[in-house]
Amino acid sequence: MIRRSANIILLLVVVAFCYGLQVSKPHYGDLIGPIPARGKLGDTVVGRAFEVHAEKVEFARNLKVDQFGQGKVLTTGGVWAVVTVEFAARAQSTVISVASWRGPTGLTYDQTERLSFMNGLLPVAIDPGLPRKARLIFELRPDEANNATLLVSEKLVAALDSQAEISLGPVPIAADGLPVGTIEMLDMAQPM
Amino acid sequence: MTAEALDQDNRAGERKWRRRSLWSLMLLVPLALAVEAYDSVKTLLGNNDLFPRRVAWGKSEHFGGSDWKLTDLRGAFGMSNLPPDSVPVLADFQVKIGNPDLQNLWLGCKITLIDKDGRRWSPTSIVSLKTTDNVQTCISAIFSGAKSGDTLNLRETFLVPKEATKSIRPAVGVASERPHFLLFQLEKD
Repeated sequence: MIRRSANIILLLVVVAFCYGLQVSKPHYGDLIGPIPARGKLGDTVVGRAFEVHAEKVEFARNLKVDQFGQGKVLTTGGVWAVVTVEFAARAQSTVISVASWRGPTGLTYDQTERLSFMNGLLPVAIDPGLPRKARLIFELRPDEANNATLLVSEKLVAALDSQAEISLGPVPIAADGLPVGTIEMLDMAQPM
Repeated sequence: MTAEALDQDNRAGERKWRRRSLWSLMLLVPLALAVEAYDSVKTLLGNNDLFPRRVAWGKSEHFGGSDWKLTDLRGAFGMSNLPPDSVPVLADFQVKIGNPDLQNLWLGCKITLIDKDGRRWSPTSIVSLKTTDNVQTCISAIFSGAKSGDTLNLRETFLVPKEATKSIRPAVGVASERPHFLLFQLEKD
């Protein structure tokens, strides 16, 4: 009798211990996920194979682009966020292919595909010793502009490889609901 | 023999085998790890250019079934529209085809430049220089249908910072020879 109840208690202890392990340890997905390299706007964030330096963030209601010699205006129901970055490869040539914008509520916006014809967008090939500027363009809800994080990685599946996480800091929202400093028209033909 | 003596005998035999089993773990655990890791290690070695085989200037070397020779490595100075302090570099190879099964032997062909610090440059797409018709890249040569005994001219274009141009050496790697790769020496070496 005593032996049986001792066995049951032991079983319960083991169940509780395993449950504790399950809730306190990171998930498998986190363990094999991207390895974050964190920094702020203006920092140079160093990953395994690349470095990225986010210079500035601009917000605009419209983008003016040049498509095969024709001027074109891209409007949006939200706001355009344009991040100017400088990439550098470390030990060997590589390609930066993925960037996304994670808002304060966790909504994540991939880079827009509406400007796929434009130069200087991802994917960008980079070589050691030859830093290269690029523009990352996102189309987002204005309330996702504040305290956002820019995520940059070489590949879509950055498992066990570095992903730069650049916090872009607070962005005050004006009375019209758009971020302060939002301009009416941003010309993409300007040099970076 | 009494039952007691038989029991004692059995127990001694059990103990002996228990000890043998424990000792055998010393061998079996590392063996199991090695068997498990074998494929991963093989893949890792097969995907990376790790061990250089140096080739002296002007010499040719049998690699991936063919004879490779570096014929020229030079900078193309004076081009406009390039990033500051960068130089396009051309690497020319002459390859005498031995085994014509290039689609298997040259799979994953990668020509790179390696400098003294171990930095590696892959061919660039920023610069494209005009070439004559009989010059190919490593990848296009795979599908050229070259036969045994043919001689191919390969050229790859790189973009390299000026400070690195003094110490860069061309390297060639193909999947069938990895983890070994060819590292070509220059005339001045």
